[in-house]
Amino acid sequence: MSINFDSDDEDFYGDMGSIGSVKFDRILTGTPHNTGSIPRGFTLLGYGNTGAGIDLFAKQFVSVAEDPENTILISTSETTSEILSVYKKYDWPTEIRVRTMGEEYNREVLTKELEASKYRIEGFTLSDIQKLAQTRFVDQQSHDFLTDLTTQVTSLGPYFRAAIDSLDFFYSRFDASRVTSMLRIMQAHAQRNRGLLLLTVSGDAVEKSTERELMAICDIVMEFEVGMRGSDFDTRMVIRRFRNSPENLAFITFRVTPEEAITPETVERVA
Amino acid sequence: MLGNASYERDRCITGIRGLDEILRGGIPYGSATLVAGTCGSGKTTLGMEFLMNGAKSGEACAHFSATEPSVKLLENIRQYSFFDMTTVDRGLINVFDMDVLFSWLGLDKSTFNLDDIDAMVKAITDIVNTIGVTRLVIDSVTSLCYKIPNEQLIRDFLFKLGKSLSTLGCTTLLIAEITSVGGTAHRSAFGVEEAIADGIIVLGDVERMGNLLRYLQVVKMRGTDHSRAKYALEITRSGVMLTPMLKWGVSQ
Repeated sequence: MSINFDSDDEDFYGDMGSIGSVKFDRILTGTPHNTGSIPRGFTLLGYGNTGAGIDLFAKQFVSVAEDPENTILISTSETTSEILSVYKKYDWPTEIRVRTMGEEYNREVLTKELEASKYRIEGFTLSDIQKLAQTRFVDQQSHDFLTDLTTQVTSLGPYFRAAIDSLDFFYSRFDASRVTSMLRIMQAHAQRNRGLLLLTVSGDAVEKSTERELMAICDIVMEFEVGMRGSDFDTRMVIRRFRNSPENLAFITFRVTPEEAITPETVERVA
Repeated sequence: MLGNASYERDRCITGIRGLDEILRGGIPYGSATLVAGTCGSGKTTLGMEFLMNGAKSGEACAHFSATEPSVKLLENIRQYSFFDMTTVDRGLINVFDMDVLFSWLGLDKSTFNLDDIDAMVKAITDIVNTIGVTRLVIDSVTSLCYKIPNEQLIRDFLFKLGKSLSTLGCTTLLIAEITSVGGTAHRSAFGVEEAIADGIIVLGDVERMGNLLRYLQVVKMRGTDHSRAKYALEITRSGVMLTPMLKWGVSQ
């Protein structure tokens, strides 16, 4: 099924979207003036060490929010208020859609686990037993967060912008091949709808074979690293893959400033 | 003197026609008896009739159903005239779906570890203790054992369960599914159930003059004398009926 794109939308969005920072866009395009550096339809992968700034980068990527209604940040580890405070801090638009799957999981699954733990330790009361004897069916309405995630992303319209931070949540709870298969569906949706989709994952969250599959799915692969230089933290992004633009492969050191969040400092081209 | 010949253990009268006579008065109280049988041999009916007879005399009974939904079990069993549905409504027979219990305990998984087994034993004994259950049927213990990864854990599970229930004075029938009852075949799916149980009752089929007849045989029952002969088992509208096998003649 082909998608008919509105000509006004085509003019408004253009062929390229911003990565979330004008300075990064300039580095990637190599020109001082640009309207974006990522071809629309691309899926990006940010992976690396905890504390290297991937979560902030995901928020910054989404903050571009060309159309806030068609922009979503799906977080698995932060609460809505935590995310909101970051957006306010950097004066980013707060009208975007935010979904906190980690919170939802805690509410639904952990509550059930806590209840089970209570029964296991404290035992059943008489009223529990009476209720148990009258319960004939198991509540099968268990929430499949992976299917829900896929449905959420594939329901976004043309030129959407979305970030999933992070895939660790899904890889630790679901079969890796199923997660990867769902990601292929989302990647295809982004490609067909000229959307921009950012996925994040920790370096040690997946097996090597899964990591290779993930890298094959994504059009741009960015590795985030953090180390020490003297008494300072040294953070850098390594662009390891950029589909059809190998000239963009680079080592970019960056810092986090109160005004611009993640900001590049030095660039070293690979190709 | 080796013992008091006049001492006899109290009996749980099963009320099943013929069985109490075979057991010289009933199952010794607090025993865990394995009722092992092939499919369609009458295990579930025998178990429900055992509970029903207890409920009729005001005993609290419990049935844990692991092989079929309790809704289906009750629909099937209420066709028998011995079964009175009001005993369920009045809480004399408490029917529990094992999958619901597993879900409540966070045990909705394919394999159990030692903690899970302990949780299951604790839950069953909790229920028995809280509502004062004196007759219990677990149908089937085989399907629970399938979730336990090795023989040692199965042994632990059955031993702990039997000991806890015995301490509470609960007479238990552990229904076990077997595929055949011929010659040297095991009387249980895993081989360990029969070693742990206080009693073993085998249900199966035997061919007589071209007919497939159900039979029951008490192989073992600690704490009582009993017949070890095979008895013809007939399932009638009014329940299970046992008659001596001899009247059916010899095999052709």
